[in-house]
Amino acid sequence: MFDYTIQIDNVVKRYAAHVAVRDLTLRVPRGAVYGLLGPNGAGKTTTIRMILNIIAPDEGTISILGRPANDPAITDRIGYLPEERGLYRKMQVRRVLRFLAELKGMKGNVADRKITEWLERFDLKTADKDWGLSKIDELSRGMQQKVQFIGTLLHDPDLVILDEPFSGLDPINAQALKDTIVELKQRGKTIIFSTHLMDNAERLCDSVCIIAQGTKVLDGTIREIKHSHGTRNLALGLGEAPSMDLMAVLRDRALVDRVDDHNLYFDIELAKGADPQALLHRIVATGSTINRFEIVQPSLHQIFLEKVGASGIERGMTGHG
Amino acid sequence: MAKLWAIVKREFLERVRTKWFIIVTIFGPVFFGAMIIIPAVMAKRSKSSSEFINTRILDATTTGFGQRIADAMKRGQSPGAVVPQVSVIKPSELSQAESTATRQVMAKQLSGYVIADQRTLVGEEVRYAGRNATSIADMERLRAAVKDALLSQRLEGAGIESGKVRDLTFLPLRLSTERITDKGRGGSGAVSIIFAGAIAFLLYMSIIIYGQNVLRGVLEEKTSRVAEVVVSSVPSETLLAGKVLGVGAVGLLQQVIWVVTTVVMLKLRQPILEKFGVTSIPFSLPEISPGLGLLLLLFFILGFIFYASLYAAVGASVNTEQEAQQAVQPLLILLVATAVFINPILFNPTSRLASVMSWLPFSAPIIMPLRLSLGSVPWYELAGSLIGLLLACFGAVWIAARIYRVGLLMYGKRPTLREMGRWLSYSR
Repeated sequence: MFDYTIQIDNVVKRYAAHVAVRDLTLRVPRGAVYGLLGPNGAGKTTTIRMILNIIAPDEGTISILGRPANDPAITDRIGYLPEERGLYRKMQVRRVLRFLAELKGMKGNVADRKITEWLERFDLKTADKDWGLSKIDELSRGMQQKVQFIGTLLHDPDLVILDEPFSGLDPINAQALKDTIVELKQRGKTIIFSTHLMDNAERLCDSVCIIAQGTKVLDGTIREIKHSHGTRNLALGLGEAPSMDLMAVLRDRALVDRVDDHNLYFDIELAKGADPQALLHRIVATGSTINRFEIVQPSLHQIFLEKVGASGIERGMTGHG
Repeated sequence: MAKLWAIVKREFLERVRTKWFIIVTIFGPVFFGAMIIIPAVMAKRSKSSSEFINTRILDATTTGFGQRIADAMKRGQSPGAVVPQVSVIKPSELSQAESTATRQVMAKQLSGYVIADQRTLVGEEVRYAGRNATSIADMERLRAAVKDALLSQRLEGAGIESGKVRDLTFLPLRLSTERITDKGRGGSGAVSIIFAGAIAFLLYMSIIIYGQNVLRGVLEEKTSRVAEVVVSSVPSETLLAGKVLGVGAVGLLQQVIWVVTTVVMLKLRQPILEKFGVTSIPFSLPEISPGLGLLLLLFFILGFIFYASLYAAVGASVNTEQEAQQAVQPLLILLVATAVFINPILFNPTSRLASVMSWLPFSAPIIMPLRLSLGSVPWYELAGSLIGLLLACFGAVWIAARIYRVGLLMYGKRPTLREMGRWLSYSR
């Protein structure tokens, strides 16, 4: 039996103009919800495509569910939801789903039964309307996304790979997807998804891997990661707008390494070796009204910023403005 | 294999289910049927036109020649039909008689009038004016009738008895043609040429239509990103093969329906035409031996695989319909260049041009079936053409599979030829 659903060792993928993935090694534990985090162009999609054996690595090895990634039998046990979603527009929903199921080696009649179950579960088949008999382009965008989830999960895969699953989802579908992920995990499936929404990743994932420019920056369980970054982060809440004196203190490089200014609220990262108590004294000395001063665990977002740099993240996409 | 079958099945069924396919497939034979029946019915109209006979002959010859013309025109007409009227006129009153006749034609009492005068007697000119002056068949019959009349008058002038003259000059001659090939006599020449031309045209049309169809299908999968889901389940080569085979099967089905209904229609031509009261010349369909049928099928399959895989590669390398239209030009040029030579080769199937074009892989799938249906082709040319086409097929599929694999997941800028060249060397 294998311990890791995905085992990637020293994988390199080069293109003519650039190296998409360089020397990537990572382990996805069995039954984990695993986040693949990184800015656009970091190599997430390339990595996913190599896991799916759509493209082959130039160097290194990938093994999936204990078998080499290019074992044809493996693809039937993987479910994949690509970042950009779409289906055959002119095709009937049921026929699309049966086709996708057959591509995963399912028999038509078995697939038909499953399709009915899933359509009912996602409210696409109710007493008065069976959307399964409609064409794809007669469905609303949200319904099309549901159909695409069904296509990903219909064959009951052991490994589910979701590329940016939350992008473009309305809140209701996002909730449905989150519930589905949790349920899949409870049934012992391994889920790997890429995202640049750190809040989502932090809440859903057991483990994450942050990659940037094709290189792994950091990986491990959320707990380990937070723990190893946990001692130097402070939360500071003020009763009024910060004074010039206070800002001068926060800019003191001997004490503070980095500060994320939210006007009345500050995420502060202490300089190496600095004493939180010394900082508190200096802040009190400026005469500011302090509502909160707390040593906190950093958010994944902060760790991400620290490791990748603010330039690596698209503003407005992270939920942190 | 099951997955390939799933793809072939989808490509086939989704196309056969469309209204477009059903309409075109049913409408095709109806169209062919109309092509066979309507011209024959039209020909009948112009043949036994009663207008031809509802004529006044203005005879200004003073020799009674007008009556001879009338007799000649009546020949072959059923008894009791309208008879041409003859008015004997003094040459000086001709212009007045003409204007009277013109008014009668305008009032639809007559179809037209013939003017016979001295120049007619010497065999120079006979004039006709009438509503049916543009009917080639009517005018040809009139000319023949006047010629007969002249001939019989001259023969009588030479001292031959008038009853005998009638027998001698009655010559309803028809030219019927038959073609001889290396294998012997084989149906009428015209039918054989029409048949070969139809085969070449059918192949050309289906390659273009269904090649485009493959291209659009690939582009749809690429732009809708379905391709990404599919190639995560099967290798891109399987998707490509399934698409080409599925679409090819649709094209083949349509052709089989067309050919079978057309053959049936041609067999039923006689009875149908009789319903319209037309007695048509019986003509025999060229015999298609099983061997020839098999060869035609083989050329269609190879030709389709050759072009369709290239069409698929084009579809995978572009992002929009507009880009596709540009990128597909080289393929279209190859096909159109071939089509341009269908006509000359049809009339000269043993020329050097014909033989060169059956060796070239891009024109062989159209030109070789054309030559095969016209008659026998030297075995070495047939073998060479087939082997060349087969090799070209392998080459095209090899190139297409690589371009397809890389292009399908490559979005954004349209690749240059050099970039596409580099794709060929990508492992995976």
